[in-house]
Amino acid sequence: MTETSEEKAVFGGIRELQLVAEDLVAFGRKLGADEVEVTVATGEDFTVNVRQQEIEDLTQADFRYLALRVIKDKRTAAATTSDLSLETLQELMKRAVFRATLGSADEYAGLPSRLEEHVDPASLMLFDPEVLMLQPQEKIALALETERIALADPRITNSFGASFSTSAAALAVVNSLGFSDYYMVTSCSLGVGLQAGETDNLVEDSWYSAKRSFRELSPPEAVAKRAVERTVRLLNPRKVKTQVVPVIFEPPMTSWLLGFLFTCVAGTSIYQQTSFLAGKLGEKIAGANITVIDDGLIPGKLGSRPFDSEGVPTRRTVVIEAGVLKNYLCNTYAARKLNLESTGNADGGGVGPNNFFLVPGPATPAEIIASVDRGLILTKTIGHGLNPVTGEISRGAFGLWVENGEVVYPVSEITIAGNLAEILNKIEMVGCDLEFETAVCGPTIKVAELTVAGE
Amino acid sequence: MLPLEHHFPLTKDDLEKILEVGLSLGGDYADIFMEYRHYQAVAMEEDLIKETSEGFIQGIGIRVISGEKTGYAYTNELTLAEAKKAALVAANIARSGEPAVCRPLVTKRIDADAYPLAIPPNKLGLGRKIELVKQAYEACQNFDRKIIRVKAGLGDVVQFVVIANSEGLYVTDARPMIRLNCLAIAEEKNRREVGYAGTGGRVGYDFFASVARPEDIGKEAALEALKLLEAVEPPAGEMPVVLAPGHSGVLVHEAVGHLLEADFIRKKTSVFWNKKGQKVGSPLVRIIDDPTIPSFRGSYNIDDEGTSPKPTLLIDKGVVVNFLQDRLSAKLMKLPLTGHGRRQDFTCFPLPRMANTFIDRGDTPPEEIIRSVTKGIYAARFEGGQVEDSGKFTFTISSGYLIEEGRLTAPIKQATLIGMNIDILENIVMVGTDLAFSPQTGTCSKEGQEVPVSDGCPTIKIARMTVGGQL
Repeated sequence: MTETSEEKAVFGGIRELQLVAEDLVAFGRKLGADEVEVTVATGEDFTVNVRQQEIEDLTQADFRYLALRVIKDKRTAAATTSDLSLETLQELMKRAVFRATLGSADEYAGLPSRLEEHVDPASLMLFDPEVLMLQPQEKIALALETERIALADPRITNSFGASFSTSAAALAVVNSLGFSDYYMVTSCSLGVGLQAGETDNLVEDSWYSAKRSFRELSPPEAVAKRAVERTVRLLNPRKVKTQVVPVIFEPPMTSWLLGFLFTCVAGTSIYQQTSFLAGKLGEKIAGANITVIDDGLIPGKLGSRPFDSEGVPTRRTVVIEAGVLKNYLCNTYAARKLNLESTGNADGGGVGPNNFFLVPGPATPAEIIASVDRGLILTKTIGHGLNPVTGEISRGAFGLWVENGEVVYPVSEITIAGNLAEILNKIEMVGCDLEFETAVCGPTIKVAELTVAGE
Repeated sequence: MLPLEHHFPLTKDDLEKILEVGLSLGGDYADIFMEYRHYQAVAMEEDLIKETSEGFIQGIGIRVISGEKTGYAYTNELTLAEAKKAALVAANIARSGEPAVCRPLVTKRIDADAYPLAIPPNKLGLGRKIELVKQAYEACQNFDRKIIRVKAGLGDVVQFVVIANSEGLYVTDARPMIRLNCLAIAEEKNRREVGYAGTGGRVGYDFFASVARPEDIGKEAALEALKLLEAVEPPAGEMPVVLAPGHSGVLVHEAVGHLLEADFIRKKTSVFWNKKGQKVGSPLVRIIDDPTIPSFRGSYNIDDEGTSPKPTLLIDKGVVVNFLQDRLSAKLMKLPLTGHGRRQDFTCFPLPRMANTFIDRGDTPPEEIIRSVTKGIYAARFEGGQVEDSGKFTFTISSGYLIEEGRLTAPIKQATLIGMNIDILENIVMVGTDLAFSPQTGTCSKEGQEVPVSDGCPTIKIARMTVGGQL
């Protein structure tokens, strides 16, 4: 891999840290650990928040972080630190090797066994030198411009502020089975939160864009307009009667639903029996129009990475294919427990998504809305209320009421309630509007019926 | 206070130099938050101690305030050179050019002790901690044959902080925290339900001998899962809601507490921003935030800006009387400090936050409150909530009961309740005598920063609220 001068300036440190990690792995082995894994991260973060056209705060930092895991006699101990002095690292390792003896022997514990494949990080385009070259003044100007455009709309009465942030990081994984590699990522995001309405009848919403490269980021105009439109459409909401109606999920809401689905297909939830999808592999769990994929290899996307936190190469995994549950998403441990292969989803000590998305369908959002005689477009939910053991969903909700295929007024102070197992089988339409604004994402969908509780 | 101290590599003299760099380009104020944390955790599932973990986390954050602007920088390298570099980055927020004056640092003595304990978290061997987890796990598993899965976990931390500012304040604190959790899954006739329980606080390990037994946490999780096996779907629509004491404190946290945090007030985004001195709720409502309650999760001897906290009366007889302040908001609003400037860790600058928030006791016996409801729900246990600045808020119950003809009848499953805070405060029609606090496991999230909190309330009747069940 060739390195540009900008990359060197920021990531000169990662190769040094990779060597520190290699030495620490060797030290752990010398202390008697059977297997050792060390991950390191280093990078820089920048965030500026502006409000009412003034800088509110600006945060800038360099960070370094190390995590380790040792396995001795099939017993596991883990540790983290932000103090990368040799003395602390060696002390942490000594303590970990001792702590491992206090745990239980677990035949499934251990590092991944096969790591022959290799993904070239450069092919994933996760790193944009332009993000590093942006000057603080340019970043401040982007945030100010976004808020200025939004505030120019007379319907907007207050602002929660606009923010621009950038992050550049390098991550390395080293283990005692000979794996040692690193990759670099950048990201940037621009967002604004707005308020409209009178004192006791306020509404709020926001919009943001987040990308790995600066070129792909939505410009201030687009972010501001979207935030304004999302906010003012909530003005003068009504309450509705409690009823069962079709519910349209806008893309951010489908993404939220997929986040819950991810928890339910994560290998850790499956072997722990904390998911309603445990034991359902190969069964039809959704409509034939539903295909869900986890893919760590899509160039330039937020959920892409060449290898996971255990060094296992990422891949494309079909999770649900035409309604049939095909795969659980696993780290090495969950895979061994379930007699499956790791899917490259290790994330810290657990399992995390790569790009986890619902494959888009043929319908435009307009066609989906036009198909509803009377129902709700779900635009935002707040609160808790997700139960992976049962699949139950219960959230506070905001949305737009639809009559005869047209939006008639906003609604608030409602809740939606349903069960993911049923929802997956009741998705009547899948939209064509998938955008990878987040690592977990989906297009507009229409769910045939959900309980909307109101008056 | 903890009978131990962490020795930071940066001295008081070093901190003075760092503060000088912070104000070298002007500005009104600079402060330093230096932190060292040691945590340990134990996780048990499938009858195995699957993993133990620990960490040493350190870092220093430097903040410079100039007018309403905040510059912030942090580093996890505790050297004078790196800290000065960060201070210069933060200093860039001020550009008057004239260096501002820093007063010499004088150590502030702290007499408060919000963490009375005998065995600090970092002074008990890991083997003993593992025993506590096993006790909770086994008590849960052995409670009933319908319990098919158990997870138990223990986490503890001691956070050492040094806070110094350009006004000459130098103060330290050592804050303990322990949390024990248990999860139970019960199964019967192909139906599965999950129950949780937890306890802890700013306590030492003597807590498990003197206050709460791990076995009781295990049993409580099992009982909750078993109860849910019998539970029916919650009703949907508007109805009277009776809140159980203790657990229901999340309502006051979401519906009222957040929107009395002074940053939302001065930015005029909170629905309460212009309501100081005004009646916003029933005269039965009196709400207090008290960061000084011994051993509570939300308690501290000093806040994260070095201010000694005070119990703060927020709402009295339904009237807004005070806001929760940090330094920046208090200064801009020209109001006194309340000691509610808190931050997640050294990577964040402080914000006005709640500590331990509660609705004070009233004078109605709890039985009478339940008896007054013909048809409604009793909200027993909570999993959390959220609020918008507009005042719309939700909270989700993990279990409860139907109230029929003045009696608790069938248990009900998870449901989300939603309302507008001002309507709900108006609709508090009965307040019980039985003030209690929620389990010491709560965490509050604001602008990406998580801090430990607790909340409480007596039995309360809300005349009507939207309950989100299924039809």
